[in-house]
Amino acid sequence: MKKKLTSSVQIILLLALTAVGLAGQSYPGKPKIIRCRSLEKETFSCWWKPGSDGGLPTNYTLFYSKDSEEKIYECPDYRTSGPNSCYFDKNHTNPWTTYNITVMATSEIGCNSSDPQYVDVTSIVQPDAPVNLSLETKTSASIMYLWAKWSPPSLADVSSNSHVYQYELRLKPEEKEEWETISVGMQTQYKGIRLQAGVKYVVQVRCMLDLGEWSEWSSERRIQIPNGESPPAKPTIIKCRSPEKETFTCWWKPGPDGGHPANYTLLYSKEGEEQVYECPDYRTAGPNSCYFDKKHTSFWTIYNITVRATNEMGSNVSDPHYVDVTYIVQPDPPVNVTLELKKPTNRKPYLVLTWSPPPLADVRSGWLTLEYELRLKPEEGEEWETIFVGQQTQYKMFSLNPGKKYIVQIHCKPDHHGSWSEWSSEKYIHIPTDFRVKDMVVWIVVGVLSSLICLIMSWTMVLKGYRMIAFILPPVPGPKIKGIDTHLLETGKSEELLSALGCHGFPPTSDCDELLIEYLEVEDSEDQQLMPSHDNGHPCKNAKMIPKETDSDSGRGSCDSPSLLSEKCRESRTLPSTIQTQDVRDVQENKGGRRSWETQCVASEQKILLFNNESTKSSTWPAAQLPNNQPAMFAYHSTVDAHKITLSTTNVNIASVLVGNEEKHQSQYSVTETVHDNTEKQREMENLHSKTDQITVQVKQNRSNDKSPFLNPKLMDYVEVHKVRQDEEPAVLLKHKENSGKTEKYTVPGTSKEYTKVSTVVDHNILVLMPDSRIQHTPVSQEPAMETSQHLQQGQTEKNMSYCLTVPSECRREISGSEYMNPSSFMPSFK
Amino acid sequence: CHTSGMLTPNGKEYAQKIPREELTHLILKLLQAWKEPLSHFNQHIEHHRELPVDSLSKAKQISNMVHELKTGVEKSMGIISNSLNAMASSEAAGLSVSNEANMMSDSDFIHCFRRDSNKVQSYLKILKCRIMPENSC
Repeated sequence: MKKKLTSSVQIILLLALTAVGLAGQSYPGKPKIIRCRSLEKETFSCWWKPGSDGGLPTNYTLFYSKDSEEKIYECPDYRTSGPNSCYFDKNHTNPWTTYNITVMATSEIGCNSSDPQYVDVTSIVQPDAPVNLSLETKTSASIMYLWAKWSPPSLADVSSNSHVYQYELRLKPEEKEEWETISVGMQTQYKGIRLQAGVKYVVQVRCMLDLGEWSEWSSERRIQIPNGESPPAKPTIIKCRSPEKETFTCWWKPGPDGGHPANYTLLYSKEGEEQVYECPDYRTAGPNSCYFDKKHTSFWTIYNITVRATNEMGSNVSDPHYVDVTYIVQPDPPVNVTLELKKPTNRKPYLVLTWSPPPLADVRSGWLTLEYELRLKPEEGEEWETIFVGQQTQYKMFSLNPGKKYIVQIHCKPDHHGSWSEWSSEKYIHIPTDFRVKDMVVWIVVGVLSSLICLIMSWTMVLKGYRMIAFILPPVPGPKIKGIDTHLLETGKSEELLSALGCHGFPPTSDCDELLIEYLEVEDSEDQQLMPSHDNGHPCKNAKMIPKETDSDSGRGSCDSPSLLSEKCRESRTLPSTIQTQDVRDVQENKGGRRSWETQCVASEQKILLFNNESTKSSTWPAAQLPNNQPAMFAYHSTVDAHKITLSTTNVNIASVLVGNEEKHQSQYSVTETVHDNTEKQREMENLHSKTDQITVQVKQNRSNDKSPFLNPKLMDYVEVHKVRQDEEPAVLLKHKENSGKTEKYTVPGTSKEYTKVSTVVDHNILVLMPDSRIQHTPVSQEPAMETSQHLQQGQTEKNMSYCLTVPSECRREISGSEYMNPSSFMPSFK
Repeated sequence: CHTSGMLTPNGKEYAQKIPREELTHLILKLLQAWKEPLSHFNQHIEHHRELPVDSLSKAKQISNMVHELKTGVEKSMGIISNSLNAMASSEAAGLSVSNEANMMSDSDFIHCFRRDSNKVQSYLKILKCRIMPENSC
């Protein structure tokens, strides 16, 4: 009945609630039991989670029943465990009972209940985590330990002594992820684990009752382990090397030593043996090394080497290193790197690089064979050129550029099973360029010299260009009328003419006097040779000068050009145009300069031979008279055997005297006596040279019986004066040159020419005589008689045959009366 | 290695102390000891298809070289019948040795051969510089 009642009430309520719910409110949601837990098996609690409340305030009630009983109880305590929980205390907890628990949510509209939960107390036991965890480090026997302490979880109404918990601890270094878990047992403390120095550790504990589950981990505790309190780290073996295949060394690298200095020991054992040895020598090779000397080195066996590091906290061993000495050979670099420059003949110089093997390597016995390699680069270059040399200890380098700097290095390695040595120290190569420099110097010197020469030449050209040019390129003679300046002739002024003749001293001045006087000394002594003196050439100098001055319009090569005379004078230094002067000069070589001679020489084209009658002298130079007379005195010298022929001329006779000429000259010479067509220089010379007599011919005006020496310039075409007639028609007979001096020869066939005219005076030592055709004499041989010279008349219209006494047959004939002048015509004017 | 039993000088001084003939003998003994194992090895690796052809030809080449070297040493040292007897006896010993060699692994074989060839080379060089010191010694 009750049930029916309650159920009907519920239905009504539900209906009401739904009615209400239909009006906007709903049923409460279904709650859910989350969990039930017992802390110590004597009490337990359940918590639920409410569903949606449907908008209306909801009450929650918990109902439970035990095992299969039907009695439903309500939760005794809703508060102790917090909201939405139910706490079953001791009295209501039966550990061996299964509880059926449901939660009902009730609101105005209706109610809702959760699913029933069957709870067995024993299975829900889970203690709380331990509390008060504390950590400490403890050091005992130089070893560091961790000491952890904690307390069991607190229980409100239960005495903690009756419960026995099992504990568990876990720790890890702070940075790491993995925990190390340790079962502690029932104690609430723990001592253990070696900890690393300098590491921070995180520790947690948890507990468990003998049945049930582990509690949660307690909160973390951290602890820092202080430094310097740990064994050393593991060392590592770096390398082992043998420098000469007789000993070897091993090096290792220590790890962090954990705070305390560590001792290292190297231990090794050989292949096939069990025994372990310790390193024989720790010092020779430096720190952290072991040196095996010859006794301890075996080849073709494998060594097992380890290194142990030990300190107060402990020790550590490296990994083993296996070594066969045969394969670890690394030599030292080569030494004594030397360079030698070789300069073979006819070849480019090359460089020879030599070196020696490292001192320790025993190459001589063949135990160790080394191969070499060198590398080369220009000093400024970047890349090395590597050259494999082989087993030689020298290398020839041909391909280096002179003047550049190179760097070279060498290294070596065993011919098999080994490694390359270090590179030797850098060696600098400097290729000399001296041979080049020498070439340059030579060229520079040559250049300087040539430039100097050019400068000098140009300078001289500038200064004396004209003369040099004249010297090098003699002016080509143009056709010229020899002798007289036509202009002057045209003008007809005698004075000017005379002056034009260049005799400003024509009326002989005092100088002339001297000159003439001097000239008069010529005599016909044998010894005296009226040789044309090779005087220092005062006259000749003058002669030279004069012709130059008068040369302007004279052409060379004409027989009676003044130049010819000058030439002759120059060449042979023979008679100047004035024979007199020549004579005088001959005689008195030292008589000063023949100034008057000069003046004579300065004469114009026509040279006037002055015959001097020097009275004072034995030579019958009527010199003194000359100045008075101012006749054209012509004297020439010829070698006539012991004849003195004096020509006296009433007038100025111009006797042309043949003068020796050179081949190139063609002068007209009229020979008084003889004419040579072909004159030979030598003969002339001979004739002239072999003088025994001097004959001076004096042609002078108003003179008679005057002896005047003849001066025959000693030039090629000398003519001997055969005789001089002094009669009305004074003429000079000249011998043919070909005469040996005494005999006559006449080139003129059949006739001996008398020369009564002086056509020109060449230079001033050559008289050019012209024959007088009117006067024909039969050849007179060696007429000793002196004949007075002819009066050579001017203006004779006879055919002027003038013969060149010059050798060359190019003698020209001057056939022109105007070509010569008989100064006698105007002589008087000068008186 | 199968030749480990042979007493060979393992240092320069020892090698230089030994008289020439003995050293020569030693060299020949070594060379002889490898003759058989080498040929066996060649046969062995021919069946290895995975090896490159170069290796096979190289191995054959090496065996030939060892043989030629042995012949050359014999000739140059003027070894004649006396040593031939010695060779014969050592050959007998070598046979047992070669069995051991057959059991080696390939890598051990190569390792041992490398070592022994180095030994032979070093001994020959010492001999050469003893006999003819001029040439690059």
